[in-house]
Amino acid sequence: MTDASRTTPRPAPPSLPDPAPASDPDPVRRSGRSARGRVSSVLKHTGLVVVCFLMLYPLLWMVASSFRPNDDIFTDFGLFVDTFDFDHYPTGWDALGHPFDTYLVNSLLVVLGSVIGNLVSCSMAAYAFARMRFRAKPVAFTVMLITIMLPIHVLIIPQYVVYAQIGWINTYLPLIVPKFLATDAFFIFLMVQFIRGIPRELDEAARIDGAGHGRIFAQIMLPLMVPALATTAVFTFLWTWNDFFTQLIFVTDPAKYTVPVALRSFIDAQMTSDFGAMFAMSVVSLVPVFLVFLFGQRFLLRGIATTGGK
Amino acid sequence: MTLRVPRAARAATAALAAGLLVSACGVGAEPVRNPKLSDGKVTLTMNWWGAGERNERTLKAVELFEKEHPNIDVKPVYADWNGYWDRLATSTASGDMPDVNQFDEVYLASYADRGALLDLSTVTRYLDTSELDAKILDSGRVGDTLYAVPVGAAPNAILLNTSLFEKYGVEVPDTSDWTWEEFDAAAQRMSKASKGEVRGVAPWGGDAFTLNVWARQHGDELFDRDGELTLDPATLASYWQRTMDQVRSGAAAPPEHHLEMQGVPLDQMDVTTGKAAMGFIPGGQFTAFQQASPDDEYAVANWPTDSRTKKGFQYLKPTMYWSGASTSAHPAEAAVLIDFLTNDTRVAKILGLDRGEPANPAGREAVRPTLDESGKKALAFTEAAARYLGRPAPITPNGASDLQTVEVRYYQQLLSGETSPKKAAEDFLAEVGDAINAAG
Amino acid sequence: MSALGEFRTLRRTRVRRGSGAKREETPDNKAAALFLAPWLVGLVAITVGPMAASLYLAFTDYNLLQDPQFTGLDNIQRMLSDDRLAQSLQVTFVYVVVSVPLQLAVALGLAVLLDRGVRGLPLYRSILYLPSLLGTSVAIAILWRMIFGNEGLVTRFLAHFGYDGPGWVSDPDTALSTLIILHVWTFGAPMVIFLAGLRQLPRELYEAASTEGASRTRQFFSITLPLLTPIIFFNLVLGIIGSFQSFTQAFIVSNGIGGPSDSTLFFSLYLYQEGFTSFRMGYASALAWLLLIIIGAFTALNFWASKYWVFYND
Repeated sequence: MTDASRTTPRPAPPSLPDPAPASDPDPVRRSGRSARGRVSSVLKHTGLVVVCFLMLYPLLWMVASSFRPNDDIFTDFGLFVDTFDFDHYPTGWDALGHPFDTYLVNSLLVVLGSVIGNLVSCSMAAYAFARMRFRAKPVAFTVMLITIMLPIHVLIIPQYVVYAQIGWINTYLPLIVPKFLATDAFFIFLMVQFIRGIPRELDEAARIDGAGHGRIFAQIMLPLMVPALATTAVFTFLWTWNDFFTQLIFVTDPAKYTVPVALRSFIDAQMTSDFGAMFAMSVVSLVPVFLVFLFGQRFLLRGIATTGGK
Repeated sequence: MTLRVPRAARAATAALAAGLLVSACGVGAEPVRNPKLSDGKVTLTMNWWGAGERNERTLKAVELFEKEHPNIDVKPVYADWNGYWDRLATSTASGDMPDVNQFDEVYLASYADRGALLDLSTVTRYLDTSELDAKILDSGRVGDTLYAVPVGAAPNAILLNTSLFEKYGVEVPDTSDWTWEEFDAAAQRMSKASKGEVRGVAPWGGDAFTLNVWARQHGDELFDRDGELTLDPATLASYWQRTMDQVRSGAAAPPEHHLEMQGVPLDQMDVTTGKAAMGFIPGGQFTAFQQASPDDEYAVANWPTDSRTKKGFQYLKPTMYWSGASTSAHPAEAAVLIDFLTNDTRVAKILGLDRGEPANPAGREAVRPTLDESGKKALAFTEAAARYLGRPAPITPNGASDLQTVEVRYYQQLLSGETSPKKAAEDFLAEVGDAINAAG
Repeated sequence: MSALGEFRTLRRTRVRRGSGAKREETPDNKAAALFLAPWLVGLVAITVGPMAASLYLAFTDYNLLQDPQFTGLDNIQRMLSDDRLAQSLQVTFVYVVVSVPLQLAVALGLAVLLDRGVRGLPLYRSILYLPSLLGTSVAIAILWRMIFGNEGLVTRFLAHFGYDGPGWVSDPDTALSTLIILHVWTFGAPMVIFLAGLRQLPRELYEAASTEGASRTRQFFSITLPLLTPIIFFNLVLGIIGSFQSFTQAFIVSNGIGGPSDSTLFFSLYLYQEGFTSFRMGYASALAWLLLIIIGAFTALNFWASKYWVFYND
């Protein structure tokens, strides 16, 4: 069970420092750590490891399956791999007409565009909703929320019609441009909630100093919103990376396929499918996401305290 | 400010959206007979569902076509089964259907009746279908109009995992003229010999193909030529009763296992994973099953019968079709491509048995020498089944494209003891019948 | 509707500020238009059109391939006698009511645990986030059957305690619970949002509380929880909207059927089957607007209730 051993407790890997060591909340407690404290710490770690293992079992199984011969996959529940089959990785990489890095790059393009779009457009709208007074604000806010309440399956056809008319089908524009137009109202709402948690005195003071909204937004709000921005970025990344339906519908040329669409084309219910290769490439496609999260959380968790808000 | 969208702009947008929709779904005007081939460069989109090997093989065929027709550029588009139909529905609704599409029997009438498909009688100069057996070709017609060319066709079959029989010391039944009694007995022996490790027969009772063959064994049929639902509820009830009896006798796994196995992909079915020794399959998929489980030896056999079984109960169900879009800007070229896929023996060799045994006899002959053991078995089976073949089965009519899901749903209710075979049969037929009438 | 509570809060703050403030603030209409410009353009150009189209289609018979036929209230009439609609509503309500609070509780608990005080946290956090990445993968279909199927791990485990029922996925009475477990299992998103929210809480309050000798539990209930209410509220609102629209997981686990016997027929799955499998897109659109009304009502209720328990800093 080599994979599980990575989560063994106690010695924390030295290469992974706490992202905000400067903000250790409780120096008193830590320096005065007693035997009781140590026991509780061991308990905590044990608990966490057990939770992690349970949570991770399916993922570990997927990794194990990517090393299994195809006909063992559906009969073997365990995490031990009897006969290692490394072929799935090279086969999977080249199985789809284009080498898998094509799809990784395509997804990266779509994801980057979406992240930038969401960051810019949603933070602007959120600032307006949270800190400005303007006519019809409640109406606008309501409309914003309503736009995320209709399921995609009834919107996709009218959307397709619109994009087809302007010749955007089979490009990434239908996937990216809407993000620049703040159609992911989810993130506007998220940022509004965050901004409302930021003490008003901060921008009030700047306003008294004569700063306009532009300056308050850029110089005061944005730095304070780093956790919300990071959350938005991380989520946009993850959701776009996993989004299947719109990417399938709007992008038709296999050379332009993104990772989730490519992953599905390993499988067809009516024929033999190379599940091993699909699992192998699923593992590959999780790597960038995992890395983004591992390093992204630094920004995510950088609260007011460390951004010099005080 | 303002946040208020001007009323006029709002109204205009709504009208625009609705208007776009209406104009977009306007399907092809009166078709031109045998339109001229273009002199210039033409781009065709060719659309199919499938994975892995099928994509590789099809891309090779496309390459060959482009070499032969340097002015036609074929853009391949493919996806998995579900994604394929979602995308096809969306793009067709928007007037943007790909030029050439792979089709399945269950959706053929739904698209054809609503004018989305190219009437192939308008392109006979480019598309020759004379090589195909008339019985098979007829299954590409909706009403009297040919909309789709069958790629391959095969009857329903019983798959036997002979390795499992051997392993548990159960005699492989003589399938040449077997009866339902023999079938059930063999299945029970298998379950008993393996102490339930392996069941005699895999879950069935949730698909339209076996249902129709069962109906035809009893002189009944799912649909008639006019697209009306004709199945007698009693026939359907007896079909489900048969599966329930097999569950009760232990020949098949308990009901909860049937519930779990509805709709699983081929690789996870019991006959593939070695949990069942026999199963009902579309004959065209035999090689796929063998390929999915290469260590086991498989045989393929015709359905069992009994004294009351009607002659000619089997029929060749097209594995899939090629069809054109009525909105295609290049119907002539689309026809040339379909003709190439249908008649060129080099294509048959490239595609092999992946889409079932070629419907075109010349294609079948071209493939024969290239086949492996399982391919030869599959071909031999289809050819031997010829003597059981009756009239072709009418295709699934417009409005019943969800036939399979509805059937599974009622079968699940039956399995979980919520209803009886008789009640399930009546409700199922009423629901399907209503849907067909509403679409009519 | 949903902004009702929001509206009241806004008005209240304005009045309060207006009366007690040093100066009367002028509205920021121009600046607001500028900041909202991208959103407005998106709304008009991308969002409103398709929404209006779907609203129109809700009153038509539309089979995707031919022009929609206006049928007035036929679709609504059909809803009234639609047993599967009732079933899907019931399934969805149970799912929302059970899985959203459960998932939030787990996410909040782990977020507090993972916030500080244990070494190696970034790794734990990343690991605990991983399940969320898998939630929509095809692998889940296979996995869930291996865990909750008739011969699955959980079923075998329970057999030791005398349980000899069928696997949870194949029993109509329990199939939904496996999807609720799946939803709770993908707690990564709210957890991360909680984590970010926790980091935003002012440290001084905790320091002051510590010196006054308040226990950690006490601190959690009197400082963390109240200050976190805007984030809890956010996760709740979005959790409800999201799980009402839940689709992929049920689609994948039930192979698109929603079974066994409709026990996992989520509203969106039913809507999808109607629109894309049965080609009744007019009816599907009507269903979508029914869903919008339901979600809207829940959200409005949420906003209304929020003024009693959500604490804002502004």
